[in-house]
Formats: sequence, C-alpha cells, structure tokens
Amino acid sequence: MRFDIILHSLGYLLRAAAVTVALSLAGIALGFVIGALVCAARRSGDRFLRRLGGFYVSFFRGVPLLVQLLFIYYFLAEYGLDVPAVVAAIGGLGLASGAYQAEILRGALNATPAGQAEAATALGFAPFDIWRRILLPQALRIAAPPLINEFILLLKASSLVSVVGIAELTRVSMNIASMTYRPFEAYLAGGMIYLAINLCLAAFGAFAERRLAAGGST
Amino acid sequence: MSFAVLLHYLPSLIAGFGVTVLCWSAGSILGLAIGFAVALLNRLPAPPLRWLLRAYVEILRGTPFLVQLFLLYAGGPYIGLRLSATAAGILGLGLYSSAYFAEIFRAGFAAVPQGQIEAAMSVGMTPGDILWRVTLPIALASTVPAIVNMLVILSKETVVLSIITVPELMYQMQTMAAETFTAFDAIFAMAIFYWLLVEAVSRVGRRLEIKLTAFMAREASA
Amino acid sequence: MSEAMIEIKRVSKSFGALQVLREVDLSVARSEVVCLIGPSGSGKSTLLRCVNFLEAYDSGEIRIEGRLIGYRDEPGGRRPMPARDLREMRREIGMVFQHFNLWPHMTALGNVAEPLKRVRGLPASEADERALAMLKRVGLADKAAAYPGKLSGGQQQRVAIARALAMQPRLMLFDEPTSALDPELVGEVLEVMRDLAAEGMTMLIVTHEMGFAAHVADRIAFIDSGRIVEQGPPKKVFHESAEPRVRQFLQTYHDRNSF
Ligand SMILES: Nc1ncnc2c1ncn2[C@@H]1O[C@H](COP(=O)(O)OP(=O)(O)OP(=O)(O)O)[C@@H](O)[C@H]1O
Ligand SMILES: [Mg+2]
Repeated sequence: MRFDIILHSLGYLLRAAAVTVALSLAGIALGFVIGALVCAARRSGDRFLRRLGGFYVSFFRGVPLLVQLLFIYYFLAEYGLDVPAVVAAIGGLGLASGAYQAEILRGALNATPAGQAEAATALGFAPFDIWRRILLPQALRIAAPPLINEFILLLKASSLVSVVGIAELTRVSMNIASMTYRPFEAYLAGGMIYLAINLCLAAFGAFAERRLAAGGST
Repeated sequence: MSFAVLLHYLPSLIAGFGVTVLCWSAGSILGLAIGFAVALLNRLPAPPLRWLLRAYVEILRGTPFLVQLFLLYAGGPYIGLRLSATAAGILGLGLYSSAYFAEIFRAGFAAVPQGQIEAAMSVGMTPGDILWRVTLPIALASTVPAIVNMLVILSKETVVLSIITVPELMYQMQTMAAETFTAFDAIFAMAIFYWLLVEAVSRVGRRLEIKLTAFMAREASA
Repeated sequence: MSEAMIEIKRVSKSFGALQVLREVDLSVARSEVVCLIGPSGSGKSTLLRCVNFLEAYDSGEIRIEGRLIGYRDEPGGRRPMPARDLREMRREIGMVFQHFNLWPHMTALGNVAEPLKRVRGLPASEADERALAMLKRVGLADKAAAYPGKLSGGQQQRVAIARALAMQPRLMLFDEPTSALDPELVGEVLEVMRDLAAEGMTMLIVTHEMGFAAHVADRIAFIDSGRIVEQGPPKKVFHESAEPRVRQFLQTYHDRNSF
C-alpha cells in the first residue's frame, strides 16, 4: 500500500467531496420540492392528479437511477438543448429523490392520527390552521429521520453522475486511479471519504431524532 | 430505430438479459447467505466479534456501490484478487447486499417476542431446537417484506455493473446504441423495460409475501 | 421426603439496585392450589418465574419435589445447574403465560405437538394424537388446524394450557392467565383451570380473579414489596385478615369492581 499517493491527492479528493456534497444538497432540495408537490397530488381530491402522482412515484422508483441519468443526458443531446452537465445531474438526482421523498412525506402525514385533526375541527380550528398548527409540525417531525436517511442514500447514489463526467468524488477517484496506476489506494481513499461523510450524517440523524423525540414528549 | 436493427441485436440483448438475471440471482443468494451468517454470528456473546461485524456492515452501507465495484474490479488485482468483470460484479453485489440483509435479519431476530422463546424454554426445549423451530421461523417470516424490497432494489442495481463492463443488458444496450447512433431510443427503451420489470418483480414479491406470511395475519375470527 | 411439591425458602432477587423478592418463604403441597395475589409490581411474576428458573434467584432455595432448581451445591459453593438438568426439570413444570406465547407459525395442533416431538421424543403420529386429545380436553378439537392469529384470546390461552398439559407436568404455574382477555372470555379459561384443580393438579397461580381464587384455591398468599405478608385459607385472608395492606388491597379491588 502506498499511502503517500492518498496523501498527495488528498486536497484534490476533498475538493471533489465538496462537489459531491453540494450536488447531493441541491438534489435533495429539488427532490423535496418535487416530493411535496407529488405528495400533494397524491392526496388531492382530483382523481387525475392522484393517478399522475402515483405514476410519477412508480416510474422514478422503478427505473434505475443510472438509466434515468443517461436518459436526461441523451434527451438533452437529442433535442440540442445546451444545458451544463451539472444541471442535468442535479435534475436527475432531484427527479429520482422526489419520488422517494413524496412517499416519506405521505407516510408521515398518514401517521399523524386522524383524531387530532378531528379534535381541532371540533374546537373550531380553520382547515388552514389545522394544517399549519397540527398536521405539518407533527408530519415534519416524523419525516425528519427518513429524510436524513434519504440524504445519505442520495449522497451514495450521486456517485453515478461520474458517468456523465462531473468531477465529483467518484470521478476524481477514477482519475487518480488512472493517473497513478494505484486504483486500490485511490478507491479506498474515495470510499473512506464517503464513509466519513455518511457516518457524520447518520450521527446527526440520530441526534436530531433524539431531539425531536424529546420535544414530542413535552 | 428500425426493426431490422433491433432484430440484428436481439440475440446479444437476450444474452445480456441472461447475464443480468444471473448477476441478480447469484449476487442475491450470496448476499443473503453472508448476511444471514453475519446476523447469526452477531448473536454470539463475543464483543470483539460484534465490533468487527458492525464495522463490516457500516463500511458497506456507508460507501457507494459503484466505488465498491471499482475497488474490487480495478483495485483487486493489486491485492492479488483477479476476477472477471462478471465475477467481480456478482461478488460485489453479494458483498454490498450482505450488509443490508444482515441488518434485515438482525431486526428479524430482535422482533421475535421474548415470551415465545420463554414458552419453548419452559417446556424444556434445547437451545438448538429453540433456534431452529421457534426463533428462526418467526424471525424469517417477519423479514419477508424487507427481503422482497431489497431484492427489487438489487434488480435495479445490476445496471451499475455495466460501468465495469459486465456484459449485462444495460451494457449490451449501450453497445448497440453506440454502434447504431440510437442512444436516445435505446435508453428510452431501457427505462420502460426496467420500469415494467421492477413493477412485475414487486407484484410477484407481494404475492409471495402474502403467501409466506399468511399465518402471521392477525384479526381473530372469533 | 417432604410432601411439598414446591418449597421456596428465603428466596431473594434483585434487578440491579431494585430488590424485588425479600427472603420469600412459600410452599405448595401435592395437589394443592395456591393463589398468589398482590399489588402490581410486588414481585408476583418474578417469584413465579423463579420457580422454573426462567428468572435466576440470587439467594435462598427453591426445591421441586425436594430437588433444588437452577443451582447445584458443590463443596466450593453453589454453581449453576447444567443446562441439560435444568431442561429435564422444566419438562415437569408446566407454565402458562399472560400473553399466551403461542408460536405463530404453527397451528393449534402444532403448538401442542411440538414439545412432545422435540422434548419427549414421541413419533409424529403419536404426538399428534396426544395433542388432539389435549385440545379436545380444553374444548378446541375443532380448532386443531387453526393458526393462533385466527383464534380468540380465550381460545389461544386454552391452547397454551393444552400445550403445557400435554407434557404431563407434575405441577402447573399460571401467570395472570386471564388478564389479557376480554371479560366475556375469562370464564372459559377459568373453567379449564377449575377442572384441572378438581383432578388434583398442583397449581401455583398468580391472578387478579378474586372470585376464582376464593372458590378454587386451597390457600391464598398475599405478596407486597417482595414479601409474603399474609397467607392462609381464602376465607381467612379475604375476610378476617388484620393485615392493613391486605385490607387496603381488597378494598381497592372491591371499589373498582362494584358499581
Ligand atoms: N427483567 C427485569 N429487569 C428489571 N426490573 C424488572 C424486571 N422484571 C421485573 N422487574 C421489576 O421488578 C418488580 C416486580 O415485577 P413483577 O413483574 O414481578 O411484578 P408483578 O407483581 O408481577 O406485577 P404485575 O401485577 O404488574 O404483573 C417491578 O418493579 C418490575 O419493574
Ligand atoms: Mg406480573
């Protein structure tokens, strides 16, 4: 093992890790917006919207992410749209994550006991206030841990955007591997950085869960 | 894309799908076996061993599958592990999924009510009989939904193997696309194909799940 | 040899810093029915579970037909009993749990036959035959093929009793066998237990069914904070006790159950 190779390229790797984190953050944020919309569609009174939401979730959870990413990439190429690869990558991650986040949000809303909304109605709350004061705070509390978990999954999945040539952590590990002819060290280093980030996220998730649970009991 | 072109590539696409199914099934079986062994070893009262198993699971769950594949396929030869792309793909899929399966089995064991084990102890059953006749069946039944879900996830992960040149469906499709300049059509077809495949697998999985766990259904009839 | 089936002497037990049993003395003679009553958390379950060593007691001794359970006295002091010997003793002690603890992946018949096959080593056909006879005895022959999830609580508990009885135990332990049941299902389980008592089975029963205890028990033992504070015939404990804790417990019980 040649640790000097890892040390030499550490700066390079860490910058790439920052790109990975930034991509994932953008992807999860876009996914949240899409997820909230899809979730709203699936809960709406309109049958067509419900169907559409269901179709979205089924499609984007059914098609492998790699296929989705290449699809977007080729789609843009086919129609001559000049969109930077980074934007396409974030779009791909966001579209896919949106399907998963929609399900997380839907599950959280369903987990909030119907009796609480009824109690609020009985007390004369307006529907909007019930949403704002009763349902949403609880749903977000329930959704927070799975959303953090979704972020970890997305961070790992973002390694796939390396195939469209974005210089994120996996791509940079590949470059180092081919430049130094030491793929074992290069990928080990890349993998350990992913692991470190994810362990931090998991610890944060556990912390947040405890805080939220404590808040729930008061 | 013309019909003639598709017909010309059909054999290689079918072969590719065969490799996909092979990698998926072999990888899953390997993952299930290792995962089960990890969960079982985890029950031994040996803290250092548990530590090691914990690290194994955390490392595999904390790193991207693609990086694991590169490490195995490209990095392997540097530590004396020379594998064909397909073998590396299967082994990679097996190791990767074993961590998730280990967690599934661990949760399954934890979900067995202590009272049902105590009932077995109170009639004087041996630890071996208790494990095989009581703990395992109950634990496994409760893991069926999670296992089905994981198998569906793995069926999608097989496309990642194309990146290390495993000649599975995605790889064959991209080869065809490159040779015939039909990248967009090809990837569109792939998306539809996998969508239908995953839907079908999920549906079969749910059926199986209902069948295997029928006895667990609550709701007393009286 | 003493006549006692169960002999509990100066048994103490702690969970960490919490002492749950304090020098408990209690004995149950052959064919005797003893009901153990007392407030929640007083140590009833713990004491019962010590009798078949599902819970290890810290000091004192528990003898089943004269034989010490769980430990072996050796020159250097007391050591845990070999697991095989413990299993051998447990076969002779039937136990019925509050939450039935039937095995959900086996039918009613399977639940009763399983220990006969695995522990008694009976051939499958014989085990099934005896299991069916036991189910008939608790009035559930027609439910032999049903899985526990499809049975009512009362039916599940009767299967659990059949499972314990099929082993032909020398004595039976019951830990609140009717507490998890809907009120209308309590009767069917108590009836089975009443029959058992009439047949001369030795029974140690933790229960909150005071009516049942008054009619079926030969003796009532009242436990509070890990101590047996009163014991005697039902009439004496229920109506003549001078012990304030017993009177208060019974008062609370009556207040809750009268309307
Ligand atoms: N495994 C355990 N670990 C720690 N504490 C325990 C354990 N089991 C019981 N205890 C404690 O020991 C005390 C006695 O418990 P036990 O279950 O024997 O009471 P009980 O008389 O059966 O009560 P109940 O009527 O509620 O069933 C309680 O304070 C309980 O919290
Ligand atoms: Mg109790």
